[in-house]
Amino acid sequence: MKKAIVLGVCLIFACTIVGSLAWGGIEGSKHDFSNQAWSADDTCGACHSPHRKEPPKAAPLWEPDADLTRRFGTSFDAAASTQRYGSGPGRGTMMCLRCHDGTIATDTLTGVKGQRFTNKLNPGLFRTSHGGSDHPVGVDYPRLDKGFRPITSVVASGTVVLPNARVECTSCHDPHNQSGQDFMLVTSNARSALCLTCHKK
Amino acid sequence: MKGSRISLRGCLPLVLVAATALADESIVNSKHDLSFRGPGPIRAVDETRICIFCHAPHNAAPQTPLWNRENPRTHYRIYESSTTDARIDQPGGPSKMCLSCHDGSMALGNVLSRPLSHPIVMTARTIPPGTADLTNDLSDDHPIGFRYDRALANTDRQIRPPEVVSRELPLGLHGEVHCTTCHDPHNNELGDFLRITDQMSAICITCHEMNGWRHGSHATSRKRTTGRTVDPTERLKYASVRDNGCLNCHKIHSAPQHERLLRARRNEDNCLNCHSGAVASFNIAADIRKRSAHYLPFRSGIHDPAEVPFTMRRHVECVDCHNPHAVQPNRIGAVRSTVGRTVRGPNLHVSGVTLSGRETSDSTFLYEICFKCHGDGTHRPRRQTRRQISQTNTRLEFQTSNPSFHPVGGPRRNSDVVSLISPLRVGSTISCSDCHYSDNARSMGGTGANGPHGSLFEPLLVRNYDRDDFTPESAQAYSLCYGCHSRESLLNDESFPLHRRHIVDLRTPCSVCHDAHGIYRGQGNSVNHGSLINFDLSIVMPTDSPSGRRVEYVDTGRFAGNCTLTCHGQVHINFPYSGGRGVSSRSVSLLRKGARR
Repeated sequence: MKKAIVLGVCLIFACTIVGSLAWGGIEGSKHDFSNQAWSADDTCGACHSPHRKEPPKAAPLWEPDADLTRRFGTSFDAAASTQRYGSGPGRGTMMCLRCHDGTIATDTLTGVKGQRFTNKLNPGLFRTSHGGSDHPVGVDYPRLDKGFRPITSVVASGTVVLPNARVECTSCHDPHNQSGQDFMLVTSNARSALCLTCHKK
Repeated sequence: MKGSRISLRGCLPLVLVAATALADESIVNSKHDLSFRGPGPIRAVDETRICIFCHAPHNAAPQTPLWNRENPRTHYRIYESSTTDARIDQPGGPSKMCLSCHDGSMALGNVLSRPLSHPIVMTARTIPPGTADLTNDLSDDHPIGFRYDRALANTDRQIRPPEVVSRELPLGLHGEVHCTTCHDPHNNELGDFLRITDQMSAICITCHEMNGWRHGSHATSRKRTTGRTVDPTERLKYASVRDNGCLNCHKIHSAPQHERLLRARRNEDNCLNCHSGAVASFNIAADIRKRSAHYLPFRSGIHDPAEVPFTMRRHVECVDCHNPHAVQPNRIGAVRSTVGRTVRGPNLHVSGVTLSGRETSDSTFLYEICFKCHGDGTHRPRRQTRRQISQTNTRLEFQTSNPSFHPVGGPRRNSDVVSLISPLRVGSTISCSDCHYSDNARSMGGTGANGPHGSLFEPLLVRNYDRDDFTPESAQAYSLCYGCHSRESLLNDESFPLHRRHIVDLRTPCSVCHDAHGIYRGQGNSVNHGSLINFDLSIVMPTDSPSGRRVEYVDTGRFAGNCTLTCHGQVHINFPYSGGRGVSSRSVSLLRKGARR
């Protein structure tokens, strides 16, 4: 019996180690703000609030209101592309941009409004001479473009997520860091596997 | 043993599947896969991603395809050519992206997503010298950075309309040609990352529409290209002339001869590479090294397709008479009369000057090609024989309104020419190449190529033609003339009654009295210069006569005339002759026999 308990404890311990290595998880990730003074030791509270007075605007009990009317510039040339642009970034994307647009905090990806987190960390390390541009989000998946794989094969891959058949931040990134990849990617990008899930190159 | 064979056979499909998976239909495993598991010698030491060398999902350059590299700031030497109608600028847009690696100046691992101090570590810092390194000299590469628009297609008749091209090859936003017009950096299925195969020049002729190319020898010949003499070590991409097409002579990148992207710096070497007996049927290289030849090695490099025949400096290149984009096999049988005057296979689509002196881009008659150099040009070749009437412009010599001329520019109606050998007759036309031709031409019973390439007999004559005084008459001595003019008829005095006396007895060559080309109407008249009479003044001297010191021939009727001159010490003053016997019965029977044959 004692032996079994020891074995069980060891098993749980091993699982924890392996789990932290292989599956990642939000705890201990960059999205774990529980050690911040303002978070009151609450990992989820930075983004989600389980109890709110007004009806929730976003499905996963999104804490602050995302400004869904903001427009973002895009470096992609709509004329040169056969893909149709949607009505702008979707909800999931807007949630990300609430922090990642550079006006509120941390790492800005639109590259215009504020400073980059990384620049603050180590100024001069990254080159900032160029304006910077990002992979389009909030766009319909280009079903008809020959340069892309069929949407069915993307969905079947089980890695890249296309909410409402659109490309959003969450298509490539998992904010909960379940796979534990660099940049919180949904899957490993070794051999550019993530890119080539959609891009037929 | 049996079992192993079966298992091998069983493995075959697997092997095939594996081979297909490895084929370069995707960037993965192509030369552009620079990740550390990439197939080439140039790859990253630890980077596992493939796209990252050019693209980044975030913080990329503002250029469209999320570009992850800095554009080179190099100033490139751009392609220049006298025949280009396009305005070629510094490369822009997508081309610069390619050049950010392929000009050899920027570090391969230097990407925007990484700090300058920590580039991706590569097995080679920059692209190593070789075919992929285009350097900052783009003058030896196919031009890029020009607009391929309607205006260009209207000016340059040898390119296809841009709207037709853009259906197959992508042009830039404003219709510019970029690297990416021919190359798809993500797909190496066809080799060299080409969008359309270059076998049989398929990709080239998508844009370039050369006159006569499709039926030309260089587009259809199945001959193998091994044994080239000029660049024997340079490997051509394909085995046959047909498959190599344009690549036989042109190199699209890093061409040794920058202008027109040729394989050899010396113009003629591009031709002699194959036409030295190894690849092509005939050895032209041997022909042009003969005593009298259409070859001026010390004047190589003068030829320019944009040259003006009237002012160009003296030179002769293969491409002066042949259009390598349109040449076809020579199917003529014999030289005389069957050559005809109209241009055929080897001389199709070659520029020339017409009999009336107009430039033409597409000669109809062979002589039009000859007139380019031997006509009005200020640097035309001089003639050695000093004659009563001196004319070096062959175009004028062959005018059909001249008092007398060999019927090259058109037929002549002079019934006095009774010596003609059938099938030639009064009213026939001949060609320059009936007299000026390689002496060992196949159609003359020899083993060499047809055409006026080179001959032992000056000036590039197909047969011997002695012009020295006191030449003993023989069939050999005036073999050239006797090819058309019956020796028998001449020596029987059927026309000029003193032919035998002059030629045989006094050993006077034909050229002393006759000027083989013609007498220009602006210089001579039919009374003094009929029957191609234009005395060689090195042999025929003036003599004192009642009307002054002169050399003169006067035509006084059919087979009759008189001469005033001194020749071989003999003084003729109004020396008359008459009574050519006309066509003898023997000659007539011979002629009839010839006709029947």
